[in-house]
Amino acid sequence: MSAGAGRPPSRARIQYAAVVRKEVLQTLRDRRVMFMLLFAPFIQTIVLGFAVDFDVDRVPTVVADQDRSVESRLHLRRVLADGTLRRAGEASSAEEGAAALDRGEAAAVIVVPPRFGADLDAGRPAQVQVILDGTDPNRSNTAAGAVSRYFGEESIRRAESRARAAGLPAPARVEVVPRLYYNPGLKSPPYIVPGIAAMLLVVVTTIVTAMGLSREREQGTLEQVAVTPIPATVLLAGKMTPFVFIGFFDVLLLTVAGTWIFGVPLRGNLAVMAVATLLYLLSTLGVGLLISTMSSNQQQSFLGGFLFTMPAMLLSGIMTPIDSMPGWMQVVTVVNPLRYFQEVARANMLKGAGFGDTWPQLVALALFGAVLFGLATWRFNRRAA
Amino acid sequence: MSPGWSIEAEGLTRRFGDFVAVDDVSFQVEKGEVFGYLGANGAGKSTTIRMLIALLAPSSGRALVAGHDVATAPEAVRSAIGYMSQKFSLYLDLPVRENLRFFGGAYGLWGTGLARRAEEVLELTGLRDQADEITGSLPGGMRQRLALGSAVLHRPSIVFLDEPTAGVDPEARRSFWRLIRDLARGGTTVFVTTHYLDEAEYCRRIGLMVDGRLVALDTPAALKRTWVPDRVLLVRGRNLAGGAEALRAQDGVRAVEPFGAGLHVRVAPERWTADQVGRALAGRGGEGVAVEESEPTLEDVFLAVVGRGQPGTEAAP
Amino acid sequence: MSLARTRPGRFVARVLAISWKEILHIQRDPRTLALALVMPVVMLLLFGYGVSFDVDHVPLAVSDQDRTEASRRLALAFTEIGEFSPVGGGDADRADTLFRRHATRAILVIPDGYGKDLARGGPARAELLLDAADPVTANQVLTKADAIALAEGRRAAGAAGLHASPPLQVKVSTRYNPEARSAVYIVPGLAAYLMAITAVLLTALTVAGEWERGSMEQLFASPVSRLEIVLGKLLPYLGIGLVQLLLILGVGTNVFDVPILGSPLLVILAGLLFLAGMLGQGLFISVVARNQLVATQAGALSSLLPSLLLSGMLVPIDNMPVPLQVLSRVIPARYLVDALRQILLKGNGFASVRGDLLAMLIFAVAIVALATRRFRRRIA
Repeated sequence: MSAGAGRPPSRARIQYAAVVRKEVLQTLRDRRVMFMLLFAPFIQTIVLGFAVDFDVDRVPTVVADQDRSVESRLHLRRVLADGTLRRAGEASSAEEGAAALDRGEAAAVIVVPPRFGADLDAGRPAQVQVILDGTDPNRSNTAAGAVSRYFGEESIRRAESRARAAGLPAPARVEVVPRLYYNPGLKSPPYIVPGIAAMLLVVVTTIVTAMGLSREREQGTLEQVAVTPIPATVLLAGKMTPFVFIGFFDVLLLTVAGTWIFGVPLRGNLAVMAVATLLYLLSTLGVGLLISTMSSNQQQSFLGGFLFTMPAMLLSGIMTPIDSMPGWMQVVTVVNPLRYFQEVARANMLKGAGFGDTWPQLVALALFGAVLFGLATWRFNRRAA
Repeated sequence: MSPGWSIEAEGLTRRFGDFVAVDDVSFQVEKGEVFGYLGANGAGKSTTIRMLIALLAPSSGRALVAGHDVATAPEAVRSAIGYMSQKFSLYLDLPVRENLRFFGGAYGLWGTGLARRAEEVLELTGLRDQADEITGSLPGGMRQRLALGSAVLHRPSIVFLDEPTAGVDPEARRSFWRLIRDLARGGTTVFVTTHYLDEAEYCRRIGLMVDGRLVALDTPAALKRTWVPDRVLLVRGRNLAGGAEALRAQDGVRAVEPFGAGLHVRVAPERWTADQVGRALAGRGGEGVAVEESEPTLEDVFLAVVGRGQPGTEAAP
Repeated sequence: MSLARTRPGRFVARVLAISWKEILHIQRDPRTLALALVMPVVMLLLFGYGVSFDVDHVPLAVSDQDRTEASRRLALAFTEIGEFSPVGGGDADRADTLFRRHATRAILVIPDGYGKDLARGGPARAELLLDAADPVTANQVLTKADAIALAEGRRAAGAAGLHASPPLQVKVSTRYNPEARSAVYIVPGLAAYLMAITAVLLTALTVAGEWERGSMEQLFASPVSRLEIVLGKLLPYLGIGLVQLLLILGVGTNVFDVPILGSPLLVILAGLLFLAGMLGQGLFISVVARNQLVATQAGALSSLLPSLLLSGMLVPIDNMPVPLQVLSRVIPARYLVDALRQILLKGNGFASVRGDLLAMLIFAVAIVALATRRFRRRIA
C-alpha cells in the first residue's frame, strides 16, 4: 500500500491486503508451522518417491532342482537372469520349499522334477512346478508371469525346432508386439511422484485451513473480526491467499525434486500445471474452510478434515486405477477434485497434454473451487449472523 | 428516529429455544453518552450487545444503531461501531502495532492515514513503548487498553465495551475509565457493561437487567433516589453492640449492619433523623457516638432491584 | 482397601483415577469417539472394495485393419475377458491424443495381412499401443497380452491339425491366497494403518489441547507422578484402539473373507504392543508440539504416509532401496503388518512372530520413556 496522492484503493482491496498481511505474519512467526508447510512435504516426497516402487523385482525364490542335469541348471539360471526373481536358497523337495514360504524366507519356489532334462530330450512332455506365496497378489502374479513367460517361449522354440526336424510347417504363432508410450521403462516414480504431490497438498492445505479458522473461533479473535465490516468473501479469500502461495511453492519444490531425483519428465506446458494447481488449491482450501464452519473446535476440524482427505486420496486414482474400482465407487470419484488434479498432473508431466486435452478436468476443478468457496462463505455468514 | 439518539432499541427480544435471554427490552442512548448496562452474570447483557452489534439476530423487536437497522444493514452498523469483547480477542502472536494495522485495514484505513492513526492510538493508550512487543507478552491492563484502542481506531461514533475491566487490577481500571471519559468528551457514545458497581458511577445513565428484563434505567442519582429512599447513616463510636441490637427492633429501622468499627444504618427518613439515631445509641451504652449521613451506593440500588423488582418498597424481612 | 496402601497399589490407583478422568473427557465428546470407531470401518470398506491391484476393465480400443475371421477372433480374445473393456474410436494415428485425454488406455492394432500370416503358419503380428504412464497397470496388461498371444497361437495351431501337447509346461500353485484377492492382502496392513493414525492423532490432539487450555499445569500441581499421568492418559485410548482392531478384523473376516488361521490371542497381543507404541508416539508429539495445529501436522506426517508406504502394507519392503529398508525398521507398523499376515493368513504361531513382537515392545518402551522424560523437562 502506498500513500501516494493517486486514487485510493477500494475498501475491499484494503481489507483483503490487511487479512493477507496478518495471515502471512502469523504463519511466518511460527517456525514449526513453516517447516510443516514447506519442507516436510518435500522430505516426504523424496522418501516416498523411493519407497513406492510397484515394480516387482528381486522376488526371493527358492529353487528345488531335483534333476540336477545340465539342462535343468541352464534353465534355472536363465529364468532367474532378468532380475524379477532372486535366488534365495535351495531346497531338495517341493515340501521343503513350501516350508520356506511359511517361514517367510521366500515368496516363490521353482521345482524342477527328476528326469526333466531327459524328458525334454526325448520329446516327452516335461513340467516345471511353481509354488507361490499368494499373500501379495501383485507380487505373486508377477512371479508367475515371469516363470510362465520364460518357459512358454522355450516351449514354442522347442516345438518349432521339432517341427522343422520332422519337415513339418511351423505351428502357428501370434505375436502381440507392445509399443509403450510415455514410460517405456515402466518405472514407478514418474507416475507416483505427481500423485504424491496431489496427496501432500490436500493433507497440508485442507487440515491447516480448517484448524486455523477453528483456532480463531476458539480464541475469540474471529468474533472480533466478525464485528468489523469485512465481508466474508474478502476475509476467506484473504485467509486462503498465503496458502495458495505455499501450495505453489510446494508444487514447485516437488516438481524440481521429481525431475532431478526421480526423472519425472516435464513434457507439457507448465502453464497447464500452474492453472491446475491454482484451481486445485481453491478446492482443497475451500473444503478446509467449509469444514471449519461446521466444527466448534480444532479437534473436530481436524477429524473432519481427516474424514475428507482419507477417502478422497483413496478414491482419486492416485494409488490404484479408477477403472478397476467397482461401479458405484467410480461414480464417487466424479465428485473428487483429487481425481481431476492427478489426471491433469500426470497427463501434463508424462504425456505432454496441453489445455486442449485437459480442459474438462480444469473446468471440473474450477467448478469445485467455486462451489466449495461459495458454500463456505454462505455457511460462514449464516453462522456469524 | 430522533436525531439525538445514538442507539434505539424497541421491544428487543432474543430466545434460545424455550429460554428467553433478552425479554422485550426498550431504551435509547444519547449521542456522546456513557451508558452503563448492569446485571448479574446471565442476566442478558452480552446477548443484548451481540444483537446491537449485529452478531446475533433478534427474535423480535428492532434496534437502530447509528441510524442503521441491525437486522437489515449489519454492514453499515459494523462500520459505525467499535467493539471490545469480554474475552481479550486480539492476536496474541502478533506485535501490538500489527494488531492495529490489521484491524485498521479491516475498517478500510490504509497508507499514511492508517499509520498516523495507529500512532495516535498508541499515544492515547500509553502503549507507544510497547508498539513492537508481542501482544501476548503484555500484562492484563495494557491488553485492555490496546483492545480499546483497537476498537476506536476507525473513530467509530459508538463503542460497545463488554465487561472491559474484568480481571484487571484497580489502578489499571481507573486509568481505563479515564480513557473512556476522554472518548465520551470527544463525542463518542460509549455503551458499557460491567458488574463493578463502583465503575457504574462513572456512567451518565445506567440500565439494570434482571433475568433478561430491563427493570430500571436512569442516572445513578435518580436511581438511588427512587430505589433506595432510606436515610443512610454511618455511625462511629465505642460499645455500639447493645444499642445496635435495640435499634434493630425499632419501627422504621430498615437495616443495622456492622461497618468497620462502626455501624451502617438505614432508616425511613420520615421517622428518623441522624440525631435521633445517635441519641438512641448513646442511650444504650454507646460512647463517643458520631452519626454522619451518607449517599446510598449503587450496590444498595442493585440489591434493592434484585430483591424487589419494584422501586421504593421494602422487602419483607 | 489394603491395595491402596501398598506402593504399587497407590500407583495403580492413581493411574486408574487419571484414566477415569480421561474416559469422562472422551464421553463428553461423543462425536470424536464415534469418528474414531466409525472411520476405520468406513475406510476398511473403501479400501477393501477400492484397492485392487488386479487389472480390471482397462479401456481398450481396437483398430482392425485386417477384417478377417482371424483378426476378429484376436480382438475378441482381448475383449471377452474381464481385464479389458472395449471402447470405440481405435485410431493408431491419434494414439497420443487419445491417451492424453484418457479416452483409452490401450489400442490393439491388427495390421492388414494378419489372417494370411496366421494361416501360413508364420508369425502373425499385432501391435499393442499402451499408455504406460501407470507402470503397474501396464505391466499387467503386458503379461495378459503375452498369455493371450500364446493361447491364440496354440488355438490356431490346433485348428490346423497340428495339435500336440506343448513340450514344456508350467504348473503354478498358490498358497495362502489362491484367488489372489487384494483384500486378503490389504486388510492386515490396513488394520495397522488405521490403528496407527487414530492412535497417534487422537492422543496428540487431546494432549496438545490440554496444553493449550492449561489444564495440564493443573494436573502437575497434584502429587501424581509423570509416569502415572502418561500411563493413565494412554490406557483409555488403548481400549479404543483394541475395539478398533476387533472391528476391523470383524469386518475383514465377514465382508472380505479374510481368514484367521492363527491364534486370535496372539493377534490381540501384537495389536496391544503396537498400540502402546503408537500412543506413545502421539504423546511424544504433543509434548514437543505444544499446540494442536503443529501436533496434528506432525502426527499426520509421521504416521499417515510412513505407515501406509514404509510398512510393507502396499509395497513390499524388499523392493525398496537399502536406506529405506533401514528406515522401515523403526516404523512399528512394519512389524505389525508382518505379524498379522503371518498369524492370520499363514496360521503361524508365537515362535515365528517373536521378533516382530519384541521389536514393537522395544519401540513402545522407548517412546513412552522418551515422552515421559520430555514431560519432566518442559515443566521444570
